[in-house]
Amino acid sequence: MGTVLDVVAAALLFGGLSLATIGLFGVLRMRDTFHQLHPAGLISGPALLLVLLAAIGTRSWAIVTSAALVFVFLLITSSLSNHAIANAARQRRLRDEDERERPAAVRP
Amino acid sequence: MPDLVASIAFGWATVLLLAGGVVLLRSRDALQRVLALDVLVAIVIALLTALSYLRDASYYIDAALALALLSFTATLVAARYVVRGRPF
Repeated sequence: MGTVLDVVAAALLFGGLSLATIGLFGVLRMRDTFHQLHPAGLISGPALLLVLLAAIGTRSWAIVTSAALVFVFLLITSSLSNHAIANAARQRRLRDEDERERPAAVRP
Repeated sequence: MPDLVASIAFGWATVLLLAGGVVLLRSRDALQRVLALDVLVAIVIALLTALSYLRDASYYIDAALALALLSFTATLVAARYVVRGRPF
């Protein structure tokens, strides 16, 4: 039982870190903010959640309960902060397009 | 959890932190910098969690929780500030 728990925890931990590596590579490769949001969401969402799930391997209730708190908190906040950034990028793009089109509209 | 697994995870997260610094340096505008800082905090949370597994101490994860809370508010406020020129 102990060995199985260790193997599961190691798989979760390394799986999470692999996802974070892939996500970071994606953030480095993408040029646009909207395209960068997708790999960034992979890091702050699933990658971190897998790393926190690996707490079961420590067999310590103090660590598992703390990790569960962070798990629930991240489930709520990671999507909210990504939404805030996407919304800001969208509003900025709309404003830029508006400013670009305005001189043409004012011209008689 | 075996010490070797936690040590490898800790080293891996440290390398990811360095790569996150490269992402921050390569970002071209303020919003991408906000996104890069969000990613950096996520990696620091993973680093603190790995440290907690390595030392078998729970208070590192509590520090990670505080960091996540601060990063969440900072991201929301910074994203608003970039667009409106004021946070509220």
